[in-house]
Amino acid sequence: MRYGGDNRSRLLLVTLIVTSLFLITLDLRGVSLITGLRHGTQSMLGPFQRAASTAFSPVGSFFSDIAHLGRTRSELKSLEAQNSQLRSTLIDRKNIETQIKQLKSVLNLSGTGGYKIVSAKVISQGTSASFSQSITIDVGANAHVTRDMTVLCGDGLVGVVKEVYASTALVMLESDPSFRVGVRIAGSQEIGILSGQGTDRAILQLLDSQTTVKVGDVLLSRGSEGGKPFVPGVPVGTVTSVPNSAGSVSQLAEVQFFTHLHSLGIVAVVVSPPITDPRDALVPAKPIPTPVPTVTIYVTPTPTPIPSTTPTAKK
Amino acid sequence: MYTRRGFYSTAIFAIVYLVQLMIIDQVHLPFGGFSVFLIFTLCWAALSTPEIGAIVGFFAGLFTDFAPSSNGPVGQWALILAAIGFGIAFLRYGDDSLRSDPLSLVVFVAAAVVVAIVTYILLNALLGIDVGRVSQLARTVIGNGLWSLAIAPFVLPIASRLHRAIFETREFQ
Repeated sequence: MRYGGDNRSRLLLVTLIVTSLFLITLDLRGVSLITGLRHGTQSMLGPFQRAASTAFSPVGSFFSDIAHLGRTRSELKSLEAQNSQLRSTLIDRKNIETQIKQLKSVLNLSGTGGYKIVSAKVISQGTSASFSQSITIDVGANAHVTRDMTVLCGDGLVGVVKEVYASTALVMLESDPSFRVGVRIAGSQEIGILSGQGTDRAILQLLDSQTTVKVGDVLLSRGSEGGKPFVPGVPVGTVTSVPNSAGSVSQLAEVQFFTHLHSLGIVAVVVSPPITDPRDALVPAKPIPTPVPTVTIYVTPTPTPIPSTTPTAKK
Repeated sequence: MYTRRGFYSTAIFAIVYLVQLMIIDQVHLPFGGFSVFLIFTLCWAALSTPEIGAIVGFFAGLFTDFAPSSNGPVGQWALILAAIGFGIAFLRYGDDSLRSDPLSLVVFVAAAVVVAIVTYILLNALLGIDVGRVSQLARTVIGNGLWSLAIAPFVLPIASRLHRAIFETREFQ
């Protein structure tokens, strides 16, 4: 038999429904009592929820991962692809930053020296059929580059153009064993010939045996007739050692190049020599030595224990 | 006597409410999960007289309305659960086949859960509250119904024992 419900129960139901509707109306009208009650409940339950969230978050993540297994996999793949793309962008960015830095320094150098240049990117580095130490740059006859033009970078001399093609050019590096450049010592203006040795060091042969050369002397290119193959005033290297050769006809010295020939990115071809010789204007500034902090340790002597002179009591 | 029953019922509902809030809501179950509080309330209402079913539904609805996750106005769940609590008790009370068959009661409770959620969504839509996409809603409703079918057999015996201990007038067979 179905319980039909009496008037009392129907009245109760109607009362509850009306109360609910009343509460809904109050809440929708923004009555502060209801809002306050809700905020109060939520602030009371907040700590419980936070504690539960900390405790159950691994379980929650587990179920969530199971539920969204397909989505998680595709997200993972998408993130991996994004990560790879970002990595390559980052590498490109670093590369570009380095190139900008090199370009800035080469522009500074050529600006100070008054050289008219064409900037170029190194597109290949290594030995070729003709030269053992060479690079290929991305400018050629199209940029009015011709043979025997000086190539420099922000640190100093790089080499000389040996072959020119339509859009590329081959540059013989200063480290090539067959490379020779006339140099002068900054300050004393003594002249000599620098020969490449196949490494990052070269040999300086001074023309006057009476000349004294010392470690740390800076060498600049002497310059050729018409600025070809070398324009004057380009920093070449610094003297690192002077062998004792009292009986020799000419004095020799070992020189280290300013240019790091293994990390060339942006270089410049000097298409027109300076109107006036820059002389020693391009001598690189000496690095400021960083002061090394001296650590002083004070040792306090430990007091030596004095042997007891009190005789042991005998029974 | 009424005070004692009211006090014990409130305490039990508060515990179930906290279980829902602190455990079930934290575990992100697939297909929208389930509300053990809703299932427990409807089981309790199904075991009671229509008056008690309506009152239990009303106060349980107020609990739900004040939950941090509730996005509707206060009184919405109270309205829905008061009506459904009354309805489920009204239908259960006079139907002898339902009283004697626990499986049919489980299905009955799961259906009531689905009705409650659908009513909530419809009321939200009527009040101009954003209810989301239809596909999402369908998934939530169906998921909740299936979860309730799975969970109700475990909740029903507990609710029945507690109800019997407090009221001692009706018992689940």
